[in-house]
Amino acid sequence: MEGTITITERLALVRRRKLLILGLLGLALLAALIIAVALGAVYIPVFTTAKIIASRLPLVGRLFHGTWEATQETVILSVRLPRVLVALLVGMALALAGTIFQGLFRNPMADPSFIGSAQGAALGATIAFFFGIEVGLGKLSTVPLFAFAGSLLAVAIVYLITRTGGRVSVASLLLVGIAFSSFLASIVSTLMVISKDRLHNIFFWLMGGVAGANWDMVLAVIPFILVGSIVAMFFARDLNLMMLGEERASQLGLEAERFKWIMLVIASLVVGAAVSVSGIIGFVGLMTPHIVRLLTGPDHRYLIPGSLLAGGLFLVLADTLARLVMAPNELPLGIVTAFFGAPFFIYLLKRRKNVLA
Amino acid sequence: MSSPETGGVEWKTLEATDVSAGYYDDDVVSGLNLRITAGDFIAIIGPNGSGKTSFLKSLSRALRPRAGMVLLGDDDLYGLPARQVARHLAMVPQDSQLASDFTALEVVIMGRNPHLGRLQSAGPDDLEIARQSMEKANVWHLADRPVTELSGGERQRVIIAQALAQDTRLLLLDEPTQHLDINHQLALLHMLSAMCSQGMAVVMVIHDINLASQYCNKILVIKKGSEFARGTPQEVLTSAVLQEVFGVGSIITGHAVTKRPHVVFLPSADGLSAGAGPRIHLICGGASGAPIMRDLLERGAYLTAGVLNLGDGDEEVGRALELKMATEIPFSHISREAHEANLELIDEADIVIVSDFHVGPGNLLNLEAAGYGLESGKRVLLFSPASISERDHTGGLAASAYRKLAESGAVEIVGREALMDMVERP
Repeated sequence: MEGTITITERLALVRRRKLLILGLLGLALLAALIIAVALGAVYIPVFTTAKIIASRLPLVGRLFHGTWEATQETVILSVRLPRVLVALLVGMALALAGTIFQGLFRNPMADPSFIGSAQGAALGATIAFFFGIEVGLGKLSTVPLFAFAGSLLAVAIVYLITRTGGRVSVASLLLVGIAFSSFLASIVSTLMVISKDRLHNIFFWLMGGVAGANWDMVLAVIPFILVGSIVAMFFARDLNLMMLGEERASQLGLEAERFKWIMLVIASLVVGAAVSVSGIIGFVGLMTPHIVRLLTGPDHRYLIPGSLLAGGLFLVLADTLARLVMAPNELPLGIVTAFFGAPFFIYLLKRRKNVLA
Repeated sequence: MSSPETGGVEWKTLEATDVSAGYYDDDVVSGLNLRITAGDFIAIIGPNGSGKTSFLKSLSRALRPRAGMVLLGDDDLYGLPARQVARHLAMVPQDSQLASDFTALEVVIMGRNPHLGRLQSAGPDDLEIARQSMEKANVWHLADRPVTELSGGERQRVIIAQALAQDTRLLLLDEPTQHLDINHQLALLHMLSAMCSQGMAVVMVIHDINLASQYCNKILVIKKGSEFARGTPQEVLTSAVLQEVFGVGSIITGHAVTKRPHVVFLPSADGLSAGAGPRIHLICGGASGAPIMRDLLERGAYLTAGVLNLGDGDEEVGRALELKMATEIPFSHISREAHEANLELIDEADIVIVSDFHVGPGNLLNLEAAGYGLESGKRVLLFSPASISERDHTGGLAASAYRKLAESGAVEIVGREALMDMVERP
């Protein structure tokens, strides 16, 4: 131990390093956002793109004047920017949910699409579509709300089935989660078949993607993710305690039962929001926290913001790939994430053989 | 550990009344009572599966009693918020899951959680308490290491430091010594004992009965979920209790230094090849023969002893070991009958050992018996003969008897090792 440095100074040093990492992640995300908007069938120079976006920002917008073509502005503002922003928000939501689920279940393999959350949300959203339900808040608010309810219900059921004697084993959570997900997916398929006329839309939505994104979607999803992120940060230290086991966390002052339900609600809220605009996109919630943990360590006060930034970054890049790889055709976004995520999942399983033993 | 930084917390008595608790359908413990007051250092002992851990969990708000109550101060422990309980009572569980890559320091700082507001970070005072706790548990040098890289004993001490960082006056520990080497075991118990004398209270489940005896001031013995005995180590630790609860034979002696009861467990009968070795008669008394008896039995000796007064230390041990003995009623001179019986036992033996017992007029006949052994052609071994001058309470008769024995061919031996060597020599 360096004798001259006090414990306070040492921890401050660690904190500064982690904040620097978060700052770099933020910069990377900003760069990715602008590049993603610039790229497309028509390339718009990165600086022009940046200026067009900046001109629409509050307060500083007046500093940027129109030295660009009107069509460029239209393409960026009405087509590409909302799409990239939805990808960003969905990535954030899924990464946040993954972080919460992994912490809550102390299960490194948890991902919204493995434990019933995403499929529950999909079923909720499908029901809203199918019956054309509107709860007064406008069409786009109805779907996320139903998705939220479906997700919460599904995770709660999987959790209660899996839990034996106060413990949730990694293997059984995955098995029950995947089985229950298939069950929910079969109900969604049934509803799709029944509703022939809308089948096509639901099908493409469920494939997972942000192709049809618009500003309404951006605005509909933002509040969910904002609330979810703030509440999650509020409970970051409790998630740390939970890593010691539920019983130990209680002994250190955590009201474990109440905490678990709050976390399940928060995770379901953001998953519901994400699924309602993008369908089911797997593996983002699995991969992101693992990679961020390597950068920031396991402390959720840094892991949560890190995962939000990295999840957004990952999905923005993945969606850009989905748009460009087979242009003018598009790959569904869920396929791109699975392409990277599935090998990662297998790698994790191999590395943690004991997890399923 | 009442620290000036936080001012410490006020004392609250923890009291379990008629507690029954368990998992699923079965009660693991039933009808247990315990009142913990400041200064108490209580050990809970009992066989595996007797409910010690479950009871400790009930006391720590981790296992709600089915019947009965646990009060912290005047409040039902299970009606209080977890945070409030965690400011008064810290628990060190048996096995902690430390599966994440937090550093030891980060884990210990989590012990400050019950004292921090929701968005408050650990301040300099909290960090200082964490550092002190880690020094007490001897893990400060591990502060920056990820807990997943630590050994079992190091992890155990990190969790102990975490509990100390809670800065409570009540501390519950479930087998805190189990992963520790003997040095750390003693250091830990010494520290806990010191904290108790400063007004804390400690309750621990522990398997090592001698450590419990040396450090604790109260012992609760649990058998099959119910109280079997309670009291001071002197009151509780008897051969009868240990036989009844653990099903093992034992000899209770006073610890040479601490004067607390010291338990020597006896090998079970089938562990010995009894009687296959040399046939030995041991002339002893007081507590001089007991240590030799066990060594001899372990070498497979067929062992007899006498003459011993009933209730004498050696007689109790001999009885526990089921030796054939010549005995006399308590506090009486050796009678002719007892002496004759002793000579008969000597007749059956190949070797007679005379231990370094105190010789008075009452047992002088025992030295005569040794002489009889020599006359009958037995090997007679005198153990620590030089000390006879200090053990002679007969005005020189015993010393001269020793001289005569030595002159007639008895072998003088110093040290137990040498004695055992001599016994094993054909």
